[in-house]
Parts: sequence; C-alpha cells; structure tokens
Amino acid sequence: MKNIKSYHFLFIAVVLLAMSCKKLTEKPISFVEPQNFYTTPSQIEATFAGAMNRVWDYWGGYGYGMGNFIHDDQYDDGDLVIGNNHGSDLWSAHYAAILNLNSAIKAMNAGNLGSTATPEEVDLLMGQAKFIRAWNYFMLVRMFGALPLITEETEDPTTAEITRSPITDVYALIVSDFTEATEKLPRKWDEFPGRPTSGAAKGLLAKVYLTMATYPLKDESKFALAADLANQVIQEGDYSLVQDINNVFSIGTKYGPEMMWSLNSNYADINTDPQIYRPGLLDGWGDFRVQIEWEQAVPETPRKHAYVLTELDGKNYHDWESDQTPFIKKFMYDNQDDYNNYSSIMNMPIIRFADVLLIYAEAANKVNHGPTQAAVDAVNMIIDRANGYTTIAEHPLLTTGMTEADFDAAVIEERNQELCFEYDRWFDLVRKEILEEKTIPAFRVNFSTDDYLFPIPDADIELNKALEQNPGY
Amino acid sequence: MKRLIQCFMLMGMLIFFNSVNAQDRTVSGTIVDQEDNQPLSGVSVVVKGSSTGTTTDANGRFTVRVPSGRSQLEISYAGYQKQTIGIDRGNNVNLKLARDLSELSEVQVVGYGVQKKSDLTGAISSIKGSDVTQIATQRVDQALQGRAAGVLVLNTDGQPGGNTTIRVRGMNSINGGNNALIVVDGLQGGNLNSLNPNDIESIEILKDASATAIYGAQGANGVVLITTKLGKRGKPIIGYNYTFGVSKLIKKLDVMNAADYAKTINASVMTRNGSGATPVPIFSDEEIAGYEKNGGTDWQDVIYRTAPMHNHELSVSGGSDNLKYLVSGGYLDQDGILVNSGYKRFSLRTNLLADINSWSQFGLNWAGSRENGNSPPYGSADISFLGNSVNVAPRWAPTEPIYDENGNYWVHRPGYGPSDTWNPLASAVEPKIDNNLVRNLLNAYVNFKILKGLSFKITGGANIENTNNEIYHNLKTYEGKQNTGLAVVTANTFRRFQNSNILTYEREINKHHFDVTAVAEQQYSKFKFSSIRASKFTVDQTGASDLGGAGLSVLSSDENERVLNSYLGRINYSYDDKYLVTASYRADGSSVFGQNNKWGYFPSASFAWRASQEEFISDLNIFSDLKLRASWGITGNQAITPYQTLARISSGANYPYNGTEGTELGFYIFNAANPNLKWESTEQTNVGIDFGLFNGRLNVTADYYYKKTTDLLMPRGLPGYTGFSSVIDNVGSIENKGFEFTISGDPMVGRLRWNSSLNISTNKNKVLDLGENDRIGYRTTKGGYSVNTPFMYLVEGEPFGQIYGFKYLGTWGSDKASEAAAWGQLPGDRHFEDVNNDGEINIKDLTVIGNSFPDFIFGWSNRFTYSNFDLSFLIQGSKGNDLFNMGRIRLESPGEGSSARLLDRWTPTNQDTDVPAFIDEKTREDAALESHVNIPDQRLSRWVEDASYVRLKNIQLGYNLPVSLTKRANIKSLRLFVSATNLITITDYTGYDPETSAYNGNDAQIGVDFSNYPQAKYYNIGLNLLF
Repeated sequence: MKNIKSYHFLFIAVVLLAMSCKKLTEKPISFVEPQNFYTTPSQIEATFAGAMNRVWDYWGGYGYGMGNFIHDDQYDDGDLVIGNNHGSDLWSAHYAAILNLNSAIKAMNAGNLGSTATPEEVDLLMGQAKFIRAWNYFMLVRMFGALPLITEETEDPTTAEITRSPITDVYALIVSDFTEATEKLPRKWDEFPGRPTSGAAKGLLAKVYLTMATYPLKDESKFALAADLANQVIQEGDYSLVQDINNVFSIGTKYGPEMMWSLNSNYADINTDPQIYRPGLLDGWGDFRVQIEWEQAVPETPRKHAYVLTELDGKNYHDWESDQTPFIKKFMYDNQDDYNNYSSIMNMPIIRFADVLLIYAEAANKVNHGPTQAAVDAVNMIIDRANGYTTIAEHPLLTTGMTEADFDAAVIEERNQELCFEYDRWFDLVRKEILEEKTIPAFRVNFSTDDYLFPIPDADIELNKALEQNPGY
Repeated sequence: MKRLIQCFMLMGMLIFFNSVNAQDRTVSGTIVDQEDNQPLSGVSVVVKGSSTGTTTDANGRFTVRVPSGRSQLEISYAGYQKQTIGIDRGNNVNLKLARDLSELSEVQVVGYGVQKKSDLTGAISSIKGSDVTQIATQRVDQALQGRAAGVLVLNTDGQPGGNTTIRVRGMNSINGGNNALIVVDGLQGGNLNSLNPNDIESIEILKDASATAIYGAQGANGVVLITTKLGKRGKPIIGYNYTFGVSKLIKKLDVMNAADYAKTINASVMTRNGSGATPVPIFSDEEIAGYEKNGGTDWQDVIYRTAPMHNHELSVSGGSDNLKYLVSGGYLDQDGILVNSGYKRFSLRTNLLADINSWSQFGLNWAGSRENGNSPPYGSADISFLGNSVNVAPRWAPTEPIYDENGNYWVHRPGYGPSDTWNPLASAVEPKIDNNLVRNLLNAYVNFKILKGLSFKITGGANIENTNNEIYHNLKTYEGKQNTGLAVVTANTFRRFQNSNILTYEREINKHHFDVTAVAEQQYSKFKFSSIRASKFTVDQTGASDLGGAGLSVLSSDENERVLNSYLGRINYSYDDKYLVTASYRADGSSVFGQNNKWGYFPSASFAWRASQEEFISDLNIFSDLKLRASWGITGNQAITPYQTLARISSGANYPYNGTEGTELGFYIFNAANPNLKWESTEQTNVGIDFGLFNGRLNVTADYYYKKTTDLLMPRGLPGYTGFSSVIDNVGSIENKGFEFTISGDPMVGRLRWNSSLNISTNKNKVLDLGENDRIGYRTTKGGYSVNTPFMYLVEGEPFGQIYGFKYLGTWGSDKASEAAAWGQLPGDRHFEDVNNDGEINIKDLTVIGNSFPDFIFGWSNRFTYSNFDLSFLIQGSKGNDLFNMGRIRLESPGEGSSARLLDRWTPTNQDTDVPAFIDEKTREDAALESHVNIPDQRLSRWVEDASYVRLKNIQLGYNLPVSLTKRANIKSLRLFVSATNLITITDYTGYDPETSAYNGNDAQIGVDFSNYPQAKYYNIGLNLLF
C-alpha cells in the first residue's frame, strides 16, 4: 500500500529546485558582440579592412560607383535625369563604413586597447581610423550636402534623434580628422604599401580645403591652406609623377611613386572582370562608353591614347562595325591570363600625385590672383608628360602671363583630361558650377541647380521625419 | 397452522438478522482476455454502489470484500468492454473480457499525458502504427500523407532519404519556420526520418490551440506525437518483416527523338535570314536519315534506372510480471532511380518498462540509427545547373552520343542545344557524395505513485546527432573542372537534452472528475558546425580523402546553444461524462527571446458537450456518439535563431588593406541589437463536432478553425545613416482559416469486412501585414533562365504562393493579323494580355498568374478483409495547386529546346496551339512593324500549370497463411503481400511530378519546378512473420 512518506515530498522539492540551472541570457560562442571587440591592434586593423570592404563593391569593380556619376560629361548617355534614390547605395555603403570606424575610435578613446598597444601604436591606429572616416564623410558631403553627422560620440543612432547637420559642421569634422591623420600617420609604410600615409592625408586635406573654397561654401580663405598643404607634399618628395604616360596605370606602379592611396585589389580580391572595359570587337562586354563630344574636345596627345580607346586596327571608332563610341582604356592592362580568368587587379586611385600638383596650381593661382611660377611649373609637369615631352600645338604649356580666370579654366580642363574616369569630374563640375555649360546640348534641358546634390534616400526620409529632402526631389 | 407461521417468521428473522448483521463476504475470481485467454492484470473490480474495490493481480486474480446487500461487481479495463456481473450465484467468479472495438474508450495520447478519446475537447487526428508501415519507402513523414485532415504533406523531391514538408493547418510564419514540433515518447524536437515505422504504436497530430498550447512557444505549427511500441505480458513474440521492391521513374518528360530534333533545329536555324544572310542547316539529310534509323540517345534513359530496395526488420517483444520490453532492429537498403544515388539506414531500438515495486516504475527507450545517403546534385543545390544532371539530361540533344570514340564523355557540339552544359551522365555518375548521420534518441523516466490518484514522473531525454558529409566533384564534372576539383567536407554535432517533471492528480467525487497535470521542464540544445571547402587539387583521384592536396581551402565554423525553461499546468474537468472543460497555461522562458521579453505566456481553454450522454439524445437511438467542441488558445513560435537579438561582430569582410598579396581579415558590425524581439504568437479558435451513427459503424468529425498569427519576424527598415539597412522586429501578421472533414466507418462487417476513412481539408491563408512593405519578392536564383527578377511574392491581402508574371494568351491566329500588327507582331507570335489597357505590354502589366497552394486536399483510405486475404489502399490528392514549370523555358526554346511540344508549333496549317511559330527574320524585316511589346523576362503564365492531382498512393494485397499450416512450423502467423506505391497518378501536369518544389528555403517560394529529383513508382513483395 502506498503511504505518503515525507521523503517523497523532499524528493519532489529537490527535483524542482534542480530546475532552471541554465540561465536564459545568451552568451554567443562563435562571435563577439561589439562591446567585447576592439581590444587588440589586430582587431582594430581588421575593422579598417571591414570598413573598406563595405564601400569596395560600390567604388571598385562591377558594382560601380561610376553608375552614379554617369551624369558628368565624360560618360555616354548621362542625361541629367537624376531620380529618387540615385546614389542611395553609396549612402548606405559609406555610413556602414562610418559605423564601424566610429566604434573603433570610441573604443580606442576609452582605452580598450589597454596594454596590448603602446601610445605610439594607438596613434598610428587612430590616424588610420580618422583618415578613413574623413574620406567617407568627404565623399558623402560632396554628394548629398548637409548630413546626419554620426560620430563616436553619437549614442545609438538607431534610436537617437538625428537631423541633418549643416555642411560647415561636416567639413569641420573632416578637417579635424584629416589634420589628426597628417600628424599621426607615417610618411611611408615599409611593409604595407596599400595603407594611407601622411602624404595621402595632406593631399586629401588639400582637396578638402579646395572644395571648401569653391561652391557651395565658397570660403576663399581656404585656398591658402590648400596651396600650403599641396606644396608640402610636393616638397617632401615622397611622391613623384611616373615619367611614361603609358605606365601611370600599370600593375607595377599601383602603389607608387605616383599613386598615394587607392581602392586596392589583388588576385585574392579582384577588382572586376576586365571584360567590362573592352568593346565587343575586342571580345569584351563594352560596358563603359565615353561620350563622343567629350572625346572630340580632347586634343590628340599621347595621354589621350593612353587613357581613351579611339582606334582599333587603324580604324577610328566612327568606322567600327559595332559600338561606335570611344571606350575607357585607362584601366585596361596587357595580361591575357588575367583576362581569361576574368580577373582584373588594377587599383582605383583615390588620390595621386598628379591630382596634388593640379590642386596646388589651382589654389596658388587663386591665392595670388594670378598664376605664380610655381603654379605654372606644377601644371606644366602634367601637360609635358601628357604631350610625351614634345610640343603639341593644341595642348600648349601654360605661362605666368595668363589671367587668373584663364589659368583657372585651363587647370580645370587639365584636371578633366588627366583625372578622367576617376570619379572626380562630377565634383569639379559641381564645385566650379559649370555643369550646365559642360553638358551636351541635347541634355542641357534637364539641368537645374538642384542637380548639384543627390537626393537623400527615400527610406531615410520616410523613416526619420526630421530629415529634410534636398530641393528638387 | 400457527407452527408454520412461526417457522416462517423465524426464518424471516434469521434472514433479516443475517442481512442486518452485515455478513460481508469475500468474492474472488480470475479475469482473462476473451480472445487469447491471457490473464489481465490491473482490471478494476468495484462493488457496485459502494466504494470498495480492487484490481486484478498479475495472474488476473482478484479478491474483494463485498459488503452485505451488494450483489453486483463492475468490471472495467481500458480497451475492453465494461461488464457488470451479479455475484449471487457464488463467491467465485471467472470472467472473460471482450475487447472494446469502439473508438470511444480508446486511450489517446495527448501532450504530457493520455486521455480517453471520449473526453477530448481538442482537435486531434490519430493514425495507427499499422497504417504507417504500408508505405514502401519506410519513411514515417511520407506515411502521413493523406491520413489526417488538415495536414499537408509535400514530397518536394524523390530522393531516398530526402525530406518532406509537413504543414498543419496552413502557414503561420514567413521567416520563423513552419515545421510542426515532433515529440517522440515525450522527447521534443525529434525527427521523423530516422524512425523505423514498425516501432510505432500510434501517431497523434495536435491541431487546435487546446491541444497545442500545452507546448507553448513551440506549439504554433502543430505537434506530431509519436508513441513507440512496448511488449505485452506473455511469451516473447519474435517478428520478422522483409520487403523487396523495385522502383522506376513515374513518367519521362516528352522530348523529341533525334530525327525530329535535328529537323526542328534546322527549321530554327533557317529563320536566321535577316539582313540578307543565308543560313545553312546544321544537320544534313544523311545525318537525319541516320537518326531515323538509330533513334539517337534517350538521355532520360541514360540517367534513370530501375532501382531495387531491400528492407529487413526483426523485433522481439514480450513481458513478464514486472517487465515489458521491445527490442527491434532494421536495415533498409534503397537505391535511387537516379544513377549514383541511394540510401541505407540501420536502426536499433530498445524499449523497456519495469515495475521497481508496487509504487514505482522505470522506463527506458533508446533508439539509434545510422543513415548513409548520396545523390548527385539536383534542384536548387549549391552548384550551377550546368552540372545538374536532372536539369540537363532532358535538354541534351538526342543527336549527341554518350561517349566519344576514345571512351571519354561526349562534349555537346556547339551551335545548337544546351552546348554550354555538361554531359548528363558525367554529372550524375562522377560526383562522389557520402552523407552520414548517426542519431541517438534516449528517453528514460521514473514514475512514482505517491497517493491514490497522485503520481509523479521524472524524465530525462537526450537527442544526439552527428553528421559527416563529404562531397567531391572531380575533373570530369562541371564544378570540378571550374575549380580543379572541388571538395566540401562538413561535420556537425547536435545535442539536445530535456528534463520534464510531471505531477498528475486524478480524482473523482460523485459525478465530478478532475484530472490535473503540472509540469516543470527544462531543455538545452547545442549545435556545432564546421566545414571545409577545398579546391585546386593537384591529384584528382584522391580528392576529398587528401585535403592536404588542395591548393585553396576556405574554412568556416559556427556554434550556438539555446535554453528553454518552462512551467505549465492543465486541468481537465468533466461532469457526469457529459460536460467537459479543459484549461491549460504555459510559461516559457527562452534564451533566444530578446533581453526585455524573456518570458512568454500561453493560455488555452476548451469546452465540449457530449450530447449523446443526454437522455433526450440517447432516447433517439440514432447517435452512438455526439460531441460538440469549442476551443481557444494562444501558442507561440520561438522563431528566433540563437543570438539574433544581439548585435554581432562578424568576420568575412576581407579586403587587401595592406596592398600586399592576399587579403587582410576584415570584421564588421553585422546587425543592430533588438532587445525587445520576441516570439511569434498564434491565436486560434476552433469549433468542431464529432458524431457516430449506426452503433459506431459510422463516425464523422468536422472542424472549423480560425488562426491569426501576429508579431511575425520581419526586417524593419532602418535609415541608411545608422549603418544598417534593417533590423529584425515583430511586425507582420497572417491569418489562416479552414475546414476539416473526416468520415470513417465500417460499411461492411460480415465475412467481408470493409473499413474506410475519407478526409478533406481546405485552408485559406492571407497575409495581413508585412510591416512597411506591401509586397516582398522571393528570387529563385538560377541565372540563365531569364527569371532573375522574383516571381514568387508575398503581398498584403493575398495568400502564400502567389505567382506573378505576364498573362500569355497563346498565339495570334492569321485571322487576327491586323490586330497583331497593331502590337508589332505577326500571326504565330506570342499574344500577351494588356492588363492595364494602356496599349503597351510592359512591366506595368505584371499580374497574378497562379497560386501554388491547393484549394483543398483529401485522402481516402480503405481496408478490406475477407477470410485470409486483406486489401488496403490509399488515394490522396490535391486540387488547385499551380506549379511554375521553370524547366520548360529552355526545353521549349527554339534553337535549343528538345521538348516534343515544339513539333506542335504554330504554322499556318496548325494554328490551334500555344507554341509560337518559328518566324524568319526576313519576314519580320519586311513587315517593319513598330513593337509595343516589351516583356523583359520569362515570367509568363505559359509556364504556370495546374498541378492538381489524384494519386493511388498505396495499395497492398496480403494473404495470411492458414493457422493449420503455420502451426506445423511453430510459426504464429505468416503473411505474404504485394504492394505498390505511387502506382497511378492522374494529373494534367507535364513535368515529372506535381508535388515537386525546388526552392523551399521559405514557404513563400514553394511552387517552382526546377529539376528536382523526381518521385518514383514502387512495386514490392514481402512477408511478415511472427514466431
């Protein structure tokens, strides 16, 4: 028979107490949460790689930032019809990079690296972090204007009140970040040619000042700062022009002496399929056609034929059987194996020495209200190389006898021909306010000053009512 | 006279005094089973009208004190007919109890307990173990098809050992998973594949909230309860079953023979006469004559074969006074109809139940299995379709031979046909695939009877699975050629532990009956995954066996764990067996829920009225049973994967930051945290009626249900400046409603017995809310078919399974030439519908062109017995489900396609067809029409077919050898049978199989036929032997 024994109850009580020995709070095993990351230098460096990876697809490779800049005068078919969400993928990509950089900067400021890094090492890391962040914001502010300014001090942006900060505030951050980078980065990385240097920081900061001095801020006091920084890079002598124009874009010169900082690629992480540049007649896919009017306005120089494909087998593109437009030749390089393996490892430059020379020329001219000898020398180095070190009548060297306005226009035109297809022309057209005049007549009807800014993406406008859209969208 | 009266008075007084003196007596006896004369222990013997009673012992003997004045005993025992017997005749009673065939007294397994079927208030479908063993493939999940109302079973592919999709009452979730919870002997989270069907006693499918709410955050998609067998008391019974079968492809796709193909290709090539070109036919007349003679290669015959299957099962079961046991083992060796595919399963099980003493029991169920499967890639497998033999074989030109003159695999000639694809036989035969899975399912429990009616059960269970898969594509395969050998080696372990502590109390007071269950339970599981993807092998022959020989390898690994702590309680109350109420409540604390919402609460309540117990109904003498039921409850779907609520730093964002060779490891913030994330919640209401007529010979069950699932996990957009595009949040909702009807009975009970059961179910599903989207598209990701834009959509206000595309109306007839010309088209061209009537056919004309889920499904099973013969068959079907037959896009493509339908293409003399004409370019040039038709892709209603079907799923004819014969060999019984599975399929669908679905990552994608392993037809013979 069954009697209720006291130890029955004890037993039940013990069993029930043994319950809930496992806690419900999750502790992940195969990854860490952000608050537990950024504790060693290699984790910070991995964050830099991760941040660049976020933007890589849109600027390098098939993803193509170019699709967003097709409205400048260099590409075929850019019709100045800029729709909603134009550039929204770049918005997302840059902010994703900024999110990661902010977390790294915040962790370093809080001393999370502790004893794993000396103060000098922390400075090197901080310099790189600020450099990359500044570049990301520089791209964003030029495309979109006033921005949500998210920094390491912003509390959780998914829940915080965010509005668009004016352009001056954004530039203040960019200048502060690049300046810190110029102080903390080395002039050269012996083992890591792809990393940013103080020279690259100075070059980009000079470009920032130059942009601040022109539309929309038009703060002319910045010309002097731009000229000064560009001059520092020139005087320091770490960088120089590649002598042969045909070698400027080659695999051997990817990391110098002219290239200062680029979007890197190699066989482990290729740039794109080289087929996108070649026209169908060369067995390619012909994705990037050059605008015929633009090509015809560029004088015949060795540089033109190094950068633009206009002839095949002696026939001009007008007479080709198909695809009768010029094509981009700059990023093609002669390696049939790479071509057959669909692997182009050409880098996409972000700042190079030719750009710095031209920045100097433009800025010095403005400071002096007329070209100085140094300014003339700088731009002539570019022109001379383009001409193959001979005289070409349609493409003469510049002189100190020119007026400020003529010299300025000539430098801008030189930027046009030298830095073509490098995502730079659109920004020149905007900051010099020459978009309308440089657009071919057929598309000029679509122009309005609203076009100088891309629209804030629809998703952001809808999800945050405090954000105002740019005019015209 | 006076003396006589005194005598009577004296006798009367004696008798009276005897009664008054309460001379209790002792009655004893033996109770046995009427059929086999085995003594029955545990039979309840109660003196009617008193509370005195006892139960029979192990020998069936009982002894009971009968208070004076009482003269009847009530005998009752589960599964047997109740008896009330008089004991006037003496103090020794011997009884035979007859088995109760009526279903009402059957005991049904419910969540955390058992209940008499008559007492159920919820909607539960029950399937006997014997029904499950009939299906040839020996898979429990496939055996459920057509057997239970409201349960949709899709055999989306026919690979032996492959998976089925089971949905109970529709789809509740978009991103949270829709699989029902599988519970085997109380152990949750099991798998139906590894179970040996012969070990199963019964299967219960819990459908409505009152049945499933007891499973809380795991119950929203329905629960499948499996109970395995245990031996009965008595001599050991040894059973041996053997089945031998062959399987074949059900039907081939209708493709052209070589001569017709060559002529069609030539016709297509001759149309390329634009701009003054003069095309030259590819096949010469001599070649065509040669094909007429030898027919060419039938590529489907090359890769499909007749495949044998052997299945052996051996079991020993029995019991003694205090031990019942079952030991069984099985070996299944099944080849697949696609060459180089097959499945082997070895399984072993031990079930024990031992009485430790009079108040405690110990039970142990252990089942282990080892499965080995392989198949060449098919369907949406992670390789290019160029090397997918199921896709490529029907497309290859029949003019191509299998081998070249050197014995190497033939390479398709260029210029026609799918010349970019790989040799189908090489793609099938060369990959070396070896998938191994070892499972251990262990369940141990101790049962204590503490007081009368109060018992306590402690269970401990473990489910341990180890997977080791190895795949090698050698240089003779497409993947191998691209990567110089490709190996993928994966190792996973999955461990799950469960401890349930169940307290039950049962009490009857007069007509009130209470049944209370309280449970405290904890579950823990851990999953570990690692894999290597290696390529660039120097030596091809060793392949994956020498990973050190690979030049490039990518490693990945992952690990996660989860915890579920639960408390639950249930009360079943009944009054007078007429009014039944059940209420349950469960609290689940799950580690995967967000920090702010760790605990979920799930109540349910249900009520039933057994109207047949009311006098006014029982007086009608019509109903053997009449029950009306209603239930309501809330169940949950845990839905969230571990760590999904946390922000995470993820690897995998590598970039060559340093500018040297190789990339630097990149880590980035992968997602935003959401501490509020919680389970998906389903609220379900169900009303049902069960009734029986003709003394239980006809039973009907009907249910209507309405479910609304809210808090669906969906991505909620975040502004881009946060660095994220979205965060997972609970924002969606879906509703399901439907009707289930089951009618079963014994139409004939004489010498020829016939038992039949028919179930029909409908489910109407509607997406109510998708968060801030009004529609979401699901891509089927194979390029090369011009369907790179999604065509399966979830749309607010519409059900799952919507197929979107352009409406294809057939071909333009020559009588409509001017109308066609207005569109820029010629007679014989494709005619599309201008849905928005704007004079253009373009993306704005995209509309619904089909729905892949059925309007209703049904199953009809029948069993006939006549003397020693038995015949049973199951017919099941589905109506209203459409399939997007993606393969036809290229099979019917001019210049490439091999489909016989191309022979029916439009010509001026053959206008009644929907296959467009081969119109030559010059004719088009000369017509110089301006086109208003701009269809960018192949999302056409032309490829959407009605895949409704009726299938004779199983048919089995058996013969039991007469006892006189078997007795001589000391055999208890020997049954021989022949059977067939998928014997007849009636459908208009032109693809291999109307049930197929290649993309099943999300239920919204179900409905696309893209080269999945076809189902097979099986013919079996076998025997069942009992010693």
